[in-house]
Amino acid sequence: MNFLKKILAESGKLFEEGKPLSWAFPIWEATDTIFFSTEKQTDSGPHIRDNMDIKRTMFFVVIALIPCYLFGAYNIGYLHSAATGVSSSVVSDFILGMSYVTPILITTFVAGAICELSFAVIRKHEVNEGFLVTCALIPLTMPPDIPLWQLFIGTCFGIIIGKEIFGGVGTNVFNPALTARAFIYFAFPTKISGDKVWAVGPDGYSGATALSIPANPTTDIIAKLNEKDLGITAANLFDNTTQFDFSTLNLFWGLIPGSIGETNKLLILLGAIFLIYCGIASWRIMVSSVLGLVLTAGLFNLLADHSTNAMLTITPLQHILIGSFLFGTVFMASEPVTSTHTNKGRWIYGFMIGVLTVIIRSVNPAYPEGVMLAILIMNMFAPLIDYYVIKSNINMRLLRNA
Amino acid sequence: MLKIKVKKGHNINIAGVASREILAPQKNDSVSLSPENFRYIKPKLLVKENDVVKLGDPIFFDKLCPEVKWPAIASGKISKIVYGERRSIKEIIFNVDTSLESEHSSSQQKKLYNTRGEFDTTNKDDVVNYLLEKNMWPFITQRPFNKVANPSDNPKSIIVSLANTAPLSVDYNFTLSSNKDTIVSALANLKKLTAGKLFVAVNPGEFDYLSDLDFVDVIQVEGPHPAGNVGVVLNHISPINSKDVVWTVQGHHLPILGKLFSDGLFDPSITINLSGPAVNDPSYFKSRIGASLESYCKGNVSSNQVRIISGDVLTGKQSTMNGYLGFYHSSISVIEESFDRSFIGWFHPGGSSRYSVFNAYLGSNKAPYKFTTLQNGSHRAFVPIGAWEKVFPMNIYINALLRSIEANDFEEMEQLGIYECDEEDVALCSFVCPSKTDVGEIIRKGLDTIYFDQ
Repeated sequence: MNFLKKILAESGKLFEEGKPLSWAFPIWEATDTIFFSTEKQTDSGPHIRDNMDIKRTMFFVVIALIPCYLFGAYNIGYLHSAATGVSSSVVSDFILGMSYVTPILITTFVAGAICELSFAVIRKHEVNEGFLVTCALIPLTMPPDIPLWQLFIGTCFGIIIGKEIFGGVGTNVFNPALTARAFIYFAFPTKISGDKVWAVGPDGYSGATALSIPANPTTDIIAKLNEKDLGITAANLFDNTTQFDFSTLNLFWGLIPGSIGETNKLLILLGAIFLIYCGIASWRIMVSSVLGLVLTAGLFNLLADHSTNAMLTITPLQHILIGSFLFGTVFMASEPVTSTHTNKGRWIYGFMIGVLTVIIRSVNPAYPEGVMLAILIMNMFAPLIDYYVIKSNINMRLLRNA
Repeated sequence: MLKIKVKKGHNINIAGVASREILAPQKNDSVSLSPENFRYIKPKLLVKENDVVKLGDPIFFDKLCPEVKWPAIASGKISKIVYGERRSIKEIIFNVDTSLESEHSSSQQKKLYNTRGEFDTTNKDDVVNYLLEKNMWPFITQRPFNKVANPSDNPKSIIVSLANTAPLSVDYNFTLSSNKDTIVSALANLKKLTAGKLFVAVNPGEFDYLSDLDFVDVIQVEGPHPAGNVGVVLNHISPINSKDVVWTVQGHHLPILGKLFSDGLFDPSITINLSGPAVNDPSYFKSRIGASLESYCKGNVSSNQVRIISGDVLTGKQSTMNGYLGFYHSSISVIEESFDRSFIGWFHPGGSSRYSVFNAYLGSNKAPYKFTTLQNGSHRAFVPIGAWEKVFPMNIYINALLRSIEANDFEEMEQLGIYECDEEDVALCSFVCPSKTDVGEIIRKGLDTIYFDQ
């Protein structure tokens, strides 16, 4: 240990001010403190400090994501076996899945590190460990066979346009991971939407997500349902469409096509509990977005009889379980910088994400995945919500002064 | 009696709590009065080195407010005047001559009242003039800005906190238990200074006799630190609006003022505590204002590498073995200077070697924790995970306020309530901040900007 400490201390001298490598000091600082926590002393202000720091905060978010990775990898293998009809073991499914997940993960982290580190050097700001979370989130929102070059460009776009041009962590408006996903979604739609990409299988294999089924029911299925004298409702479509099991229970367990990390709801909920318990993520945003989703979905259920849109028949529980709503609300919406910063604001912000998710999913079937856009839209409105919440505090004070 | 329940905040479980016995005074050969303890003043000396002065004699005055003079905090020779950059006066050091201190000239003994029954014959100006004449005005400080009050102001109210919630701070219920008469005398006269109310904040079940006094509004505060801070109490009961001024006096100065009002004598003794994880025998001491830290710390600290702090660990001022107790301080805290770098510290599971307000370590916070000077993390861009809000019990959007300060937006600073806060009220925010932001420093920057703009 002491040997390593000495090497780091010696190499650190090269990065001091006035030395040839001083431009790279932020990179050295970030690396050095990965191995040994900083020896920095308090100088002004409180002489003692809490042991929690940003490194650990961000590390905890990454921990919360790891189960989603493991399950995501297994799910890829499982769906592949189901598609090919070859029986396989859990281990071989997992290994097959990892062969898809690992290159995605590496590509994202390489792209993320290049962007973050070069901006830290150019802008002379500290390397914020937040980029690790961004890079850990992006693969989980991708389909398993996303082309790596698209992913690379998307990640760079997300970190540069979503974060760095606004001044880096703490001053960015949009969630960088979602910005990356939105970029890929709109720039390369064929690889991240439709029903061909969500499960790995033989060419042309259809792996429709639960969301796309009621969004675009095919004429075959409608005919089939009419034959059986069943209504065109989401539940009936789920039961009769594909080879996948879209029962409520399986939607929860997540052996269904979808983005790598979104499918298993149990692991997402465990992640949420972990982050809330540690005091890192806001429970207010999570609770209020579920609330907003349930109320809007309930309202749409009432309107379903007056419309042919099968999306309106999706029950609130199904809305929670299908697609990446839970993943988005737990790991994306509650991201502290781009969400609202006031507790009152967090309630409004979360609630509106829930509402918008259902509206985007149901009203415009072209974008069945509503939560990504809902969060990005609310990211944009978060400062405005905060402005009005704070304004009420200001008004209270002005009234008192008067 | 008004009761306040504060929910947000945190009582830091720090090791080294002083044992409940008051030890005899240590040798106080030299004491110091430092003009640096007083904000925004321009001191002008009235004495030279080697002058012999008596307790309460004027030592320097403020050029910006010449009627306010500072008292000699000891009788004896002025052994040294320490200058800093650009001839700023850093410290005035007295050689204490105890035999000289027991003599009191007749002018020094001039009393404001002969008996406590004659309170009603005086008004605000009498009390103000008496304090100015006795050079005792600097005991009266004000909010906002936390500076020596301006005698010509008319304070909206006066507040004294006898509920010390800061970590390792002196327990007034213990140290002031035998000072009932002087406290009542001090409060009775302080009430004359305001047309408004005189608030006294107490912990539940302490200083019961105060509720019998009709000139005192007792506020019972319950909850974790910073519940007992005057700023927090005021925020709950009578917030400071712009252009308001509230005066305040340190709890441990009440007996000094009381004695001054009723006997005409300046007795600079206070009871202090020496505490902290790096103190061998943390305990209380009879001491005096501006006491030398060496006489208390020498031989009683655990190692050579310690940080001696005048004041508490959150808001105190870093000092050295050769330093002195600050004018307003009543405790000495000592913590170890640590340079320990733990291997992959961010991965550490927890246990007794970690302390956090977050549930981020297994089994931490259980035993009193030996805090060191480690910052426990590098400075990073601020990520608002709600850490400050956990420990900031005021009706102020602290995050927005800090932004307005950084943006130098005067109007918004005022509107967001900068007058209501002081560094000590946000000290816990800096303590918990995972980005290691010094919130107090930013608040002070904002207050300074506004003060100098006036």
